[in-house]
Amino acid sequence: MTQNTLMRPALPVRRRKGRGVGGPGGGSNRDAWMLVLPALIPIVLFSVYPLVQGILLGFTDAKAGLNVPVSFNGVDNYVRLLDNELFWNSFRIGLIWAFGVTTLQFLASLGLALLLNLDLKLRWLARTLALVPWAMPPVVIAIMWRLMLNPTYGPINESLRALGLPGDINWLGSFATALPAVIVVGVWAGMPQTTITLLAGLQNVPGELHEAAAIDGATGWQRFWHVTLPSLRPIIVAITTLDLIWNFNSFALVFVLTAGGPGGQTMLPMLFAYNEAFRYGNFGYAAAMGNVMVIVIAIFLFIYLRSQARSRLS
Amino acid sequence: MTQTVVRPATRQLPSAKRQRRISRPLQYVALLAYIVFLGFPLLFLLVTAFKTPQELLSPNPSFLPESLNFDNFVQAIEKANLVQAAANSLFVAVATTVIVTLISLPAAYALARFRTKLRGLATGWILLSQVFPFILIIIPLFLVLKQIGLVNNLFGLVIVYAVWSLPFALWMLQGYVAGIPVELEEAGAMDGGGRLLVLRTIVLPLLAPGLVATSLFTFISAWNEFFFALVLIQDPALQTLPLTLARFVGAEGQVQLGQLAAASLLATIPSLVFFALIQRRLTSGLLNGAVKG
Amino acid sequence: MRRQAYLSVGAVAVATLLAGCAFGGGAAPEETADEGPVEITFQSLAYQDTTVAATEEIVDSWNEENPDIQVKLTQGSWDNVHDQLVTQFQGGTGPDVIHDESSDILGFANQGYLADIGPYLSEETKGAVSDDVWETVTTGDGKVIAAPTLLQTYVVFANEDAFAKAGVEVPAGDELSWDDLQALSKDLTTGGQFGVGWGLKQPTAAIMNTALGFDGGFFDVEEDGTATIEVGDEELAVPDAIHAMAYEDKSLDPVTLTQSGSDVMPGFLGGSYAMYIGGNFLAQQITESAPEGFNWTVLPPLAGSAGPVQAANPQTMSVAAESKHVEQSAKFIDYFMNAENQAKLALGDWLIPASADARAELESQTADQNGWAELLKTGENLSGAPFQKATNYPQWKDQYATPGLQQYFANSITREQLAEQLTAGWDSVSG
Repeated sequence: MTQNTLMRPALPVRRRKGRGVGGPGGGSNRDAWMLVLPALIPIVLFSVYPLVQGILLGFTDAKAGLNVPVSFNGVDNYVRLLDNELFWNSFRIGLIWAFGVTTLQFLASLGLALLLNLDLKLRWLARTLALVPWAMPPVVIAIMWRLMLNPTYGPINESLRALGLPGDINWLGSFATALPAVIVVGVWAGMPQTTITLLAGLQNVPGELHEAAAIDGATGWQRFWHVTLPSLRPIIVAITTLDLIWNFNSFALVFVLTAGGPGGQTMLPMLFAYNEAFRYGNFGYAAAMGNVMVIVIAIFLFIYLRSQARSRLS
Repeated sequence: MTQTVVRPATRQLPSAKRQRRISRPLQYVALLAYIVFLGFPLLFLLVTAFKTPQELLSPNPSFLPESLNFDNFVQAIEKANLVQAAANSLFVAVATTVIVTLISLPAAYALARFRTKLRGLATGWILLSQVFPFILIIIPLFLVLKQIGLVNNLFGLVIVYAVWSLPFALWMLQGYVAGIPVELEEAGAMDGGGRLLVLRTIVLPLLAPGLVATSLFTFISAWNEFFFALVLIQDPALQTLPLTLARFVGAEGQVQLGQLAAASLLATIPSLVFFALIQRRLTSGLLNGAVKG
Repeated sequence: MRRQAYLSVGAVAVATLLAGCAFGGGAAPEETADEGPVEITFQSLAYQDTTVAATEEIVDSWNEENPDIQVKLTQGSWDNVHDQLVTQFQGGTGPDVIHDESSDILGFANQGYLADIGPYLSEETKGAVSDDVWETVTTGDGKVIAAPTLLQTYVVFANEDAFAKAGVEVPAGDELSWDDLQALSKDLTTGGQFGVGWGLKQPTAAIMNTALGFDGGFFDVEEDGTATIEVGDEELAVPDAIHAMAYEDKSLDPVTLTQSGSDVMPGFLGGSYAMYIGGNFLAQQITESAPEGFNWTVLPPLAGSAGPVQAANPQTMSVAAESKHVEQSAKFIDYFMNAENQAKLALGDWLIPASADARAELESQTADQNGWAELLKTGENLSGAPFQKATNYPQWKDQYATPGLQQYFANSITREQLAEQLTAGWDSVSG
C-alpha cells in the first residue's frame, strides 16, 4: 500500500509510462534482487532477527533475571494492558507530542528550506548553522535547554523580562507549560533532518516549471502552491511519515528535560515502555506495549498515506 | 517534459523582479529569526565553555564570560581522552556512512524502479524497523553480536549503526530516485548510453543532493549514538565521543557544566566543519532553472 | 517467494530460540577453580576528579600487591549505569566488580544477578559498618550482595551571613527538629528572600528517606518482597512540613520544588535562600563555586518524632553472579573497604563513609575544614527502610509516588488525595 504512493512520481507534467515490470532499460526481477542482495544479509541478521524476536517477546511472560524460564502466554499481556490506565494516558500525551512536534517541525522546516534554497548572501553560513541542533550531542542538547529554560536564571526568561514581558514562567516545572515547552525543544532538535531533506527535494523541482508558470503570470505564492508543493510531495510524505514515527518513539530528550514530570504531564509512551522493560524488568509486557504502538502508528500511517494518494489523484 | 528540459533559460520577468525587491528584505529577516532560534543554544554552549565554576553558579549570571578562560578545555581534553574518542567516533561514523551509501544506493534504485515482491517486503521492514521501539531490540541485538564476537569492538558498532541507518537511507533515497523522471533515463538510453553510463551521467548527478542529505544523516546518527556504544564498548580505548561526554554527568542531576560544554563544543565543531564543506553539494547542477524562489 | 519461506522458517527458529536463550538468562556460572593470575574487571562510577584519581590509586596499589589478581578499571557513569547493567547482565557480559547504590542493586539481587559475598568479607570489614547499614545490602533470604561504601544524607546548608542579617542565631546541638526548621525558615523570610530552597524535582527518595525520622515506614514487607502500604500521619509528616512552608508560611520558594538540587544552588549562593536542603554531596559544589567571602555551614541533622533518623542508601560494591572469579573479586572489595581507602574516596565527593573506622579517619583528616564535622554527624543515625525491600517499589515510585508528590508540592491536589493516590497506586502495582 504505502510503497505505491511514495514511488509514483508526482510531477504533473510527467507522463506515466515505462513504469511496468521492467523499468527503464529492461531490468528484471533478478536484477532487482542482485541490487538488493548486499543489504540483505546484515539486515536479516542484525535487524529482522532482533525485530522478530522483539515482536514475539510481546506474547511471552519474559522477565529480567538469571535463568528465568520464559513461556508464551498468548494475549495475556494485551488483556492486562487494556486496563492499564496510566499507559493509555501516556499514549494520549504521546499522540499530542508526536503530532504537535511533527506538524510544527514540518512547517518550520519547509519555511527554512525554501529560504535556504534562495540565492541569499551568506547562504553557506545559514545552511551550516541550520544544522546546529543535529551536530550537538544529544546529552548536551537537553542539558543546555534545561539551563536556558531555568525560570530564575535562564536566558529565555531573562530576555522576556528585558522585553517587559512576564519573565517568571516555570517552563518545565509547571503543569501548564511543561508539555508545550518540551514540544518546542523537540521541534528544535528535529528540524535539521527535515530541513535538509526538503532542501534536497527542492533541488529536484525543475526550474523550467517555475519559469513556465511565471510566464503564465503566476505569483510567487501560486507557483509555490501549484508547482513546488506538488513536486515535493513524495519527499514531504516520506519525511513527515518518518518524523511522526521518530517523534512517537523518542523519549531520551524528554527524559533528561523532565523525566516524565511534573506530575506525569510529559510521560511519553516510549518512556513508559522503557521503564517497564529496563526498570521493572518486565520485558514481555513492555514488548506488548511496543506491539500496540506499532499497530496504532501503522493505522495512522495507513490513513495518512492513503489520503495523500487520494488527494493527489483527485 | 523533454521539451521543457531543452528550453533555454529565459531572462527574468519584470514582475518577478519587482516582487523580489519587496520580499528580499523580509526573507533576510525570516532567515535571521531561524538562525537565532537554531543557533542560540550553540552560542550558549560556547559561552558556557569559557565560564568558571563560580560564574556558572552565579546568581546574577552575565551572558558573556568574564574572560576567555581555557581551563575547561584543558581539563576536558586531559580527563576524557577526547582525542582518542574523537578518532574512534570518526572511524565509526565514516565507515558507517560509506557502507550505508554503497549498499543503499543500488538497493534504493531497485526499489524505486522495479516492481517486485521485494518492494512490499522492504517497505514492511523499513517501517517496522522504525516503528518498533528500539529499546526492545537492544537486548536481542546485543546477544547476536555477542555470539559472533563483536562485543567490545568498533566493527560491531559500525555494523549496528549501518543496519539501523539503512531503513532511513533506503526510504529517502528511493523517494529521490522516484522524483527523477524516468524519461530522462530513457532519453539517455536512446542516445546510445549503456545502463551504467546512464546511471552515472544522468541519475547520479540528479541524486547528489539526496545522497548528501542521507549520508549526512547517517554520519550524524553514528557520530552521536550513545546507548549502543554504552552497552557494547567496555574497553576505555574504544570509547566513542558520546560515551566520554557522559563522564561529565553525575548522579542526581549533577553536571560538570563548564567541562561538559567545552568537550561538547569540541565534539560539535567537526560536524559543523563537515556541514560547511558539504552543504554546497545540496545544490544539484542539472535541473536548476534560472528562476528560483 | 522463496525468501519469504526462509523468513517464516527463521521466525519459527527464533521462537524456539527465544525460550532458551535471549530472555531466558545465560549459562550457569562456572566454578571458580582457577589457579594462577586472573584478571577481574571493575566498573567504577567515581565522578569527581579527586575521587576518580583516588579510585585509580587504590586499584594501582592493589595490582602491585596482588600480582595474581589483576584488577582492570573501567569507568561508567551514574546517569546510565542501570540500563547498562540490565543489558550486560542479560547478555552475560557484566563486569566482575560492580559499583552502584543499594536502592538500585537490590532489584538486580532479586533477579539473581549478584553473588553472595558475605562469606568472603573479613571480620574487620563487617565490623566497621553498622548492622543497620548492612541491612540495606542484604536480601530477604540473608545473602549479602554488596559491601556498602559511601552514604548520602539530606542536610540543611545555611548561609551564615543571611542568618546574621536577619538576626537569627545559627542553631547548634545534636539535632534540628522539623518544627524548628519551619520556625527558622519563617524568621529568615524577608522581602524577596525565602527562608529555604529545596530542589525536589525528584521528590520520592527524599521523602521516603526522611519519613523514617517520624517512623514513617510506608510499607509492611514480607520476606518474599510482597508488601502492604499504609500512608498515615507519620508518612506524610515531611510532605506536610514542606507544603506548609511553601504555601502557608510562604517561607519555601515553591519554584525550587520543581527543580533539581543544582538548579537551586545559585539562589543559595546568591542569598535568595538562607537555607538550602539537599544531599550532602552538594557541599562539593558549594566549596567549588561559592563566591569569595561566602560563609556557610551545615545545620544539625533533621529530626522527626523518632529522632534524627534517615534511611541509608549507600553506594555499593557487588560481584556479578556470573563472574568466574567471585572470591577474588570479593577479596578486592574487602581491600577497597579499608578505612584509609574509604576515607580517600569520601573526601572528594563529600560523602559519608559507611565504615565507622573510615569516618574516624576522615574526621581527623578534615578537622580544619568547614562543614565536615556536621556532615559526618548526619551519617550516624542511618538505618534500613522497609521500602528498600519491597519488590514493586521502583514502579510505584515512578508511576504514583513521584507524580503524586509533584502534584501535592505544586498545590494542585490535597493531602487526602495524595494519600489516596499513594495507597491506590500501590494496590494497583502489586495487584
